[in-house]
Amino acid sequence: MHTSAFRIGTICLAALIPGMLIAVVLFLALYSWPAINFNGLGFLFRDTWSLGNLYADPVSVHGAQVPIGAQYGILVFIVGTLATSFIALLIAVPVSLGVAIFLAEGAPPRLRPTLSLIVELLAVVPSVVYGLWGVAVLVPLIAHYIAPGLSAVLGFIPFFAGGSPTGFGLLSSSLVLTLMVVPIITATVYSALLQVPRPDKEAAYALGAMKFEVAVRAMLPMVRGSIIGAIILGLGRALGETMAVLMVSGGALNYLPATITSPISTMASFIVSQLDSAEQDPTGMAVRSLAEIALVLFIITVIVNVIARMITKGLHVGLATRA
Amino acid sequence: MQTRSSETLLRRKFLLGTLGGTTLGLVALAPRRAAAADVTLLETGSSLLYPLFNLWVPKYTAMHPGLRITTQSTGSGTGIAQAVSGVAQIGASDAYMSSPQLKKSPGILNIPLAISAQTVNYNVPGLNDAGIKLSGPVLAAIYSGKITHWNDPAIAKINPGVSLPNHGITPIHRTDGSGDTFIFTQYLSFSTPEWANSVAYGTTISWPPVQGGIGAIGNPGMVQACGQTPYSIAYIGVSFHAQIAKAGLGTALLQNRDGNFVLPNPATVGAAASALEAKTPPDQRISLIFAPGASSYPIINYEYAIVNSRQASPVIAAAVRDFLTWAVDPSGGNAPEFLNVVEFLPLPDKIAALSKAQIAKIR
Repeated sequence: MHTSAFRIGTICLAALIPGMLIAVVLFLALYSWPAINFNGLGFLFRDTWSLGNLYADPVSVHGAQVPIGAQYGILVFIVGTLATSFIALLIAVPVSLGVAIFLAEGAPPRLRPTLSLIVELLAVVPSVVYGLWGVAVLVPLIAHYIAPGLSAVLGFIPFFAGGSPTGFGLLSSSLVLTLMVVPIITATVYSALLQVPRPDKEAAYALGAMKFEVAVRAMLPMVRGSIIGAIILGLGRALGETMAVLMVSGGALNYLPATITSPISTMASFIVSQLDSAEQDPTGMAVRSLAEIALVLFIITVIVNVIARMITKGLHVGLATRA
Repeated sequence: MQTRSSETLLRRKFLLGTLGGTTLGLVALAPRRAAAADVTLLETGSSLLYPLFNLWVPKYTAMHPGLRITTQSTGSGTGIAQAVSGVAQIGASDAYMSSPQLKKSPGILNIPLAISAQTVNYNVPGLNDAGIKLSGPVLAAIYSGKITHWNDPAIAKINPGVSLPNHGITPIHRTDGSGDTFIFTQYLSFSTPEWANSVAYGTTISWPPVQGGIGAIGNPGMVQACGQTPYSIAYIGVSFHAQIAKAGLGTALLQNRDGNFVLPNPATVGAAASALEAKTPPDQRISLIFAPGASSYPIINYEYAIVNSRQASPVIAAAVRDFLTWAVDPSGGNAPEFLNVVEFLPLPDKIAALSKAQIAKIR
């Protein structure tokens, strides 16, 4: 009797989590349904976002009441989201692997707990702190030194030839995200590296491998699954990061980034920046379109996670068959 | 076995003790709380009005024990939305509500509390004390990417004798929804038909694509972005006068409807306000932008309290009425000791009377 009550209780609690997920998706889908109907598939491929004239009487377009001139296209924000996350991972992954290997193998054992604690602390710093640092330190640094430097060295590639960089934009957003992602990947990979059995490492040393070779050739392949998992965790944070990116992105609207220092907007930060004005839309279409952005962001996150899971699964199967 | 049961007992005792303590605490707290706050009001919205409310509320609640007023800086759009939904009793907004909005929620009042202004600031090394002159059409061209350099003939023409640099302009706009964007784009719309027909005005607008133009968050973000980006231009609420001066930014003289270039000061802002005083309708929803008059400053606005005329209870309605009546009174909240701090101007007598007439409708 006692056990079954406990059982039922825990089952109910466990059901809360998938239940909440389903509730959120259902809410987003239902709430944004008028916007999905109005915007059509072009929502994803248009680069113009305009709330229309909120101070004039709304007009009827295809049976929906919208402000005059309203059009909602989010290509700019999709590109901004994917580009910042991609560049952030491009920098963060090698750095994190290096730090994790150093912590697990290279660092003096006495310093190891302190160093790993610092990494874990970095992972829990609120994002707005990174954003503030980005505005105060990183943005001027990019405007005055990094962007001109990149332009001088790599200027022959159009993507790096900057016009008049202000520091706010793609590069600063990506670097802030890098900082936020590195501790997550490092901490996860580090704890996986600690699990590598001693005999395996000693076997590699016995074959005459150098410390570096042991780490890269013997240890990293053994924790491949964890590395991919860690990257996905980091990507999840980068895709959804809102405040820090909003503060340094330069809030681009209606155009795609031409160079690495161009202003951009991401989906999450755009929702935050627009919500206040969208609430003044008497037809409600603006807020519903923002909800549609949230739905798209959610779908992108799910797709990325599923792909990652398939890769990790494939890896496990591959390792198993080899063994 | 025995140890276990005694442990449980101990735990139970501990639990009981905690519970008892909590109950006692609650009992002790309850009567005090009832006496301290009979009415709690929530004010939320405009970040430009937020500092003013924070000056008003401590003074006012000190005179009225039993009243608590919570203030929040959430943005004008949120202020309007929460006043309409009933979450907040007072919504603060730099912009008045649109007619379609009012049609959807009749019974919402737009009550001016004070007069504010906006400056157009720039960061052109060497010229920040020179007082560059700008006009609505020139600003519209800058913000739509048609004028890209400081030495453009259109800027040079209205600035004879100033050696303008051959350098690209970085226009900075607000990324977040903002009453400042509302009044700035109204200035562009009223002075430049082309802007009115393509971009128009609002708290957020669909900014024309200007490569290199950037967005910043809040007035502090505008000051910072303009300060650290040479050759940039920005529009900033006049309450941030001190920060603007500290950042060493230049303040532009703006062309008014009569064609004169003016700086914002009590005389020019007051001239613009009195030019439109007679035209203010009983519901007080009127733009003060681009007012006629030789010395009128072109970007000024009423700061509004957005209030539902039907409050949840007569007690709450009375508290809102009393507070707002005090706020718009020249011997109360409109006194210089409050308004000077945030660089606002008091309401002219006739406008204050209109505000009071609207406040009296709150039931």
